[in-house]
Amino acid sequence: MLVFLKLLQSLIKELHSDGTPLQIALGAALGAALGLTPIANIHNALIVALLLVLNVSFGAGMLAWGLFVPIGFVLDPLFDRIGHRLLVETPALTPLWTSWFNAPLMPYTNFNNSVVLGSVVGWLALFVPIAALVYYLVVRYRATYGERVRQSRFYRAVTASQAYNVYRWFSPE
Amino acid sequence: MDTNAPAVLRRRGIVRWTGLIPFALLLLAIVVVWLTLGEVFLRNTIEEAATKFLGTEVDIATLNVNLADATVELRGVSIADPFDRMRNLVEADRVHGVLESRPLLEKKIVIRTLAIGGMRTGTRRRTASAPAPRNGFAAATLRSLDRWAAQLRKPIASFTPIDTIRSIVLDPTQLATVKRAIEAAARADSLQQALTTSYRALALQPVLDSARAVTTRLSGANPRTLGITGTRQAVTDVRRTLAQVDSARRRVESLARDARTGVALVDDELHALDDARRADYAFARSLLKLPSIEAPDLGGALFGDVSIDRFQKMMYWAEMAQKYVPPGLLPREQPGPKRLRMAGTTVAFPKAREYPDFLLKRGDVALAVGGRNAASGDYVATITNVTTMPALVREPTRFTLARRSTAGVVGSLDARGVLDHVGGRIRDSLGVDASGVTLPTFPLPGLPLRAQLGQGTSRIDVLRMGDRIAARWTMRAPAVVWQRSSAPANAPAARDIRNQMEALAVRVIEGINDLEVVADLTGDIARPTLNVRSNLDRLLAERLRAVGGEELATAEARVRTQVDRIVDERTAPLRAKADSLRAEGEQRVADARARLDEETRKLDERLKALLNARGILGLPNDE
Repeated sequence: MLVFLKLLQSLIKELHSDGTPLQIALGAALGAALGLTPIANIHNALIVALLLVLNVSFGAGMLAWGLFVPIGFVLDPLFDRIGHRLLVETPALTPLWTSWFNAPLMPYTNFNNSVVLGSVVGWLALFVPIAALVYYLVVRYRATYGERVRQSRFYRAVTASQAYNVYRWFSPE
Repeated sequence: MDTNAPAVLRRRGIVRWTGLIPFALLLLAIVVVWLTLGEVFLRNTIEEAATKFLGTEVDIATLNVNLADATVELRGVSIADPFDRMRNLVEADRVHGVLESRPLLEKKIVIRTLAIGGMRTGTRRRTASAPAPRNGFAAATLRSLDRWAAQLRKPIASFTPIDTIRSIVLDPTQLATVKRAIEAAARADSLQQALTTSYRALALQPVLDSARAVTTRLSGANPRTLGITGTRQAVTDVRRTLAQVDSARRRVESLARDARTGVALVDDELHALDDARRADYAFARSLLKLPSIEAPDLGGALFGDVSIDRFQKMMYWAEMAQKYVPPGLLPREQPGPKRLRMAGTTVAFPKAREYPDFLLKRGDVALAVGGRNAASGDYVATITNVTTMPALVREPTRFTLARRSTAGVVGSLDARGVLDHVGGRIRDSLGVDASGVTLPTFPLPGLPLRAQLGQGTSRIDVLRMGDRIAARWTMRAPAVVWQRSSAPANAPAARDIRNQMEALAVRVIEGINDLEVVADLTGDIARPTLNVRSNLDRLLAERLRAVGGEELATAEARVRTQVDRIVDERTAPLRAKADSLRAEGEQRVADARARLDEETRKLDERLKALLNARGILGLPNDE
């Protein structure tokens, strides 16, 4: 329940932030990687770094992480199939993998694991659709319900919390 | 910020510089966690990986990693014995490894030198080691080796008193011959049915009727009465009918062949009954528990288990070597790491002239054999080129074990081996020669005796080429002590001597002080042949044959008579059926042939009469 409330709070804050719909969409698309792919991998460190350093919505990234974790679990068998197909069942790619995984630092990416590779490929394929969908939803929301929610007591209660101030450090400039 | 004001949507550039601060803090936190908990995490990971790798519990007391000079030091390392959870296979006080740094960038471990100090073997554990995971490779290997060993086990030696054997009650349904005879009788019935059906399907009667009708119609006719057209028509009719008769004859010959084949099948069944009868003799003999007094059987029965135990352990490590050191350079799949998410498959892509995933270039092991026996002392073991990818290293793994100092008693332990998985075919060899070592104590199956071998010599030689194996275990105990079993009364070996045969066996065995056992394991690894022989079983066989040979022959003759009586009684209907089938088939075919021949003869006569007159009628010769 607490997680749900936190997610709801993040959602409300994000929708009414100063960020443009594109910044929120890109933040969400980047954050989806954290949920769709196994978390303890180097590429996710890079994703977190990008979320922190790039001028995209960090909150949207965190929100997307939470939302995409269960989707990642559900899609794991599919990711495993994709990864296995690419690693084992596509002989044309074997020389590429062989050179990659014998190059310095590359083996630490764990891309030679079917689920890791499959989920990263799946996330890359879904990056633009996720960004486009979030962009559309944010624009629609702001044009329809946004102002009414902004005037509500609920919104004021959410934005008055201390956590909101911390959150604003990472909101898009 | 005024939250009531309309949102101001701003774009200020791609990089958010303030984000660098938490990013730097995050990196700092990672470094702090590594410095404080890194070695614990690494130690747990190594323990877990080694346990999974070896299939038995591996414990490490402390771990020190020095990144600056790429060294790793482990202290208090113990590897549990997979066959005995209360023992450690080896224990080492200190393991010091010097790693090469460049392969670490490729997530590969190349150990330049490894020094193991304070190593002991066969030590007792304070707590039982964790059993291997049920679905893991090690547990599966142990299970398959149990099955593998079960096929090698010989029946327990039986020393039933022959003079008490009077008779046995055989249940006919237990005899293989009777079972086969019943099955064969059913097949003979269906064969007879099939032949009858085929005979009916010949449709001989219409052909014969048609032939008789033509013959009758033309019996009083001649070319003069028939005229040219009538004669031509008559010749055509006779020839057509002859063709029908020939066709029927071919069908009859086909049926004759089928009948002969069927009868031959039944004859084969009858011959097979003779083989089954030999198996029944053995079965009935086993019911009597007649002792086998052949030396190879006695050797296998008395020393088979202890030999299998040696080979089973050796096979376990050979299977491990095959699993983790496969030949070739093809991509290799293995289960991914354990995590909340699906593990997936991790694929290794070995590349020629690159580092393998794991390589120990050279390891030096200081090994101490404790106790106060002749093998006690310090040893030095050297192992080179241990790798998971031998095709990359292009050198076989070699290991040697030599003695450095002794505890003052003459004895030796010498071991050397080669694991050659460089080419496509595995070629492993191992030789262990130990003298002055304490040999095992074990019960003699089927007898109330335990063999306490004491000190002696033991030698194992193993050669594996692909899926073939040739191994020999030779053991000599010059001062063996035979203990009357003092185990609990419900244990099979804890009983008094039951009869004179057993008493004789015990007396012969107790008279031997110098025991020599040779066990050979040869053939296909999956289904090898175990042959065990010893000086004891040769002597025992001679003595048993001298005492009980005549009575044994009498008992065997009684068994054969009883089996023959039952088998003859139950197989007689089949033999009668086979005779009947043969006779019936031959009779039907002969009858059909005779009737067809008779009609053919009559038709030929008619045809001849008609054709003789064609000159008179001016008929062409070709008609």
